[in-house]
Amino acid sequence: MIKPKRLLSLLLRFIAFGTTLAAVILMATSHEKGTFFAVSYEAKYTDTPAFKYFVIANAIVTVYGFLVLFLPPGSPIWRLVLALDLVFIMLLISSISAAMAIAQVGKNGNPRAAWLPVCGQVAKFCNQVTGALVAGFIALITYIILLLYSIYNLLNPLFEKA
Amino acid sequence: MALQNEDKLEVGYSSLQPKPKKWVLLMLRLLAFFATAAATVVMGLNKETKTLVVATVGTTPIKATLIAKFQHTPAFVFFVIANGLASIHNLVMIMGDLFGQKLDYKGLRLAMIAILDMMTVALISGGASAAAFMAELGKNGNSHARWNSICDKYKTFCDHGGGALIASFAGLILMLIISVMSIIKLLIKPKPDSTIVVP
Repeated sequence: MIKPKRLLSLLLRFIAFGTTLAAVILMATSHEKGTFFAVSYEAKYTDTPAFKYFVIANAIVTVYGFLVLFLPPGSPIWRLVLALDLVFIMLLISSISAAMAIAQVGKNGNPRAAWLPVCGQVAKFCNQVTGALVAGFIALITYIILLLYSIYNLLNPLFEKA
Repeated sequence: MALQNEDKLEVGYSSLQPKPKKWVLLMLRLLAFFATAAATVVMGLNKETKTLVVATVGTTPIKATLIAKFQHTPAFVFFVIANGLASIHNLVMIMGDLFGQKLDYKGLRLAMIAILDMMTVALISGGASAAAFMAELGKNGNSHARWNSICDKYKTFCDHGGGALIASFAGLILMLIISVMSIIKLLIKPKPDSTIVVP
């Protein structure tokens, strides 16, 4: 019978894996073509290095999440998983932060640098990118919850003494 | 005789607290404080003014002043705030290390330090990466979105921003090492109950 602690941890890891996968798929399939005053344009995620970094970072975390799902409980590798969780949280934060910085410029433009917003012309692309960012956010929060939960479990002997 | 030995061994065990590690951690925190403070200050004072002659009316030229400030870009604002918070965190930790050894909230001092360090690492990494990609956009522009690069017009702004970014990345690496050391301190804390029995 699976212990409830293990079940909760497994559920959280599955959610984290699912949301990073969703973020990768949403960002990678965001693609829009159109014409604007006889100028044809095409918006893809590869246009900006920030979105490419987002896809790569979330892909790495997806693979990691998939592998950790099959780790048996009680194995000594769980300490390494704790350390890797911290590293991958950092990676996720940096990728979301970078993608959001560029997406904000795309949505609002920057009048002082004469950068016009592009979301008016590629609304579907913008919406899909927003969806990918939201999925990335949820994945990040899930990983943070997982990290705090692992530290709490590790420190429980210490808490019982105090 | 056996009792004396036990007492001596217990005292010896408690004085095995890692002293050289304490100074290493303090030096690392000092360096990280300097790095993040430098990043904050350099980016916070980043400003470049350019005046160009737009037109000439008669004999008087009409000048337009264009200013590039860090406040124009939300990514840089986030960068300054994140690095500012990180340097305040490091300062508080250094003060706590030097002057507040007795402060202990229900025995959770090490856990709080570890968690706060992790939060600061997360904050710095977010700020640094947002500013890095925004700086890359400013330097290279984006042909697909018809965004021109601005670094050829505002060279000093770009140079200072790049310097602040390098300082912030150095601070990020230092904070990562500090965070790992804090977590290690948390996990191998010697239990005060255990006594060494002399055979």
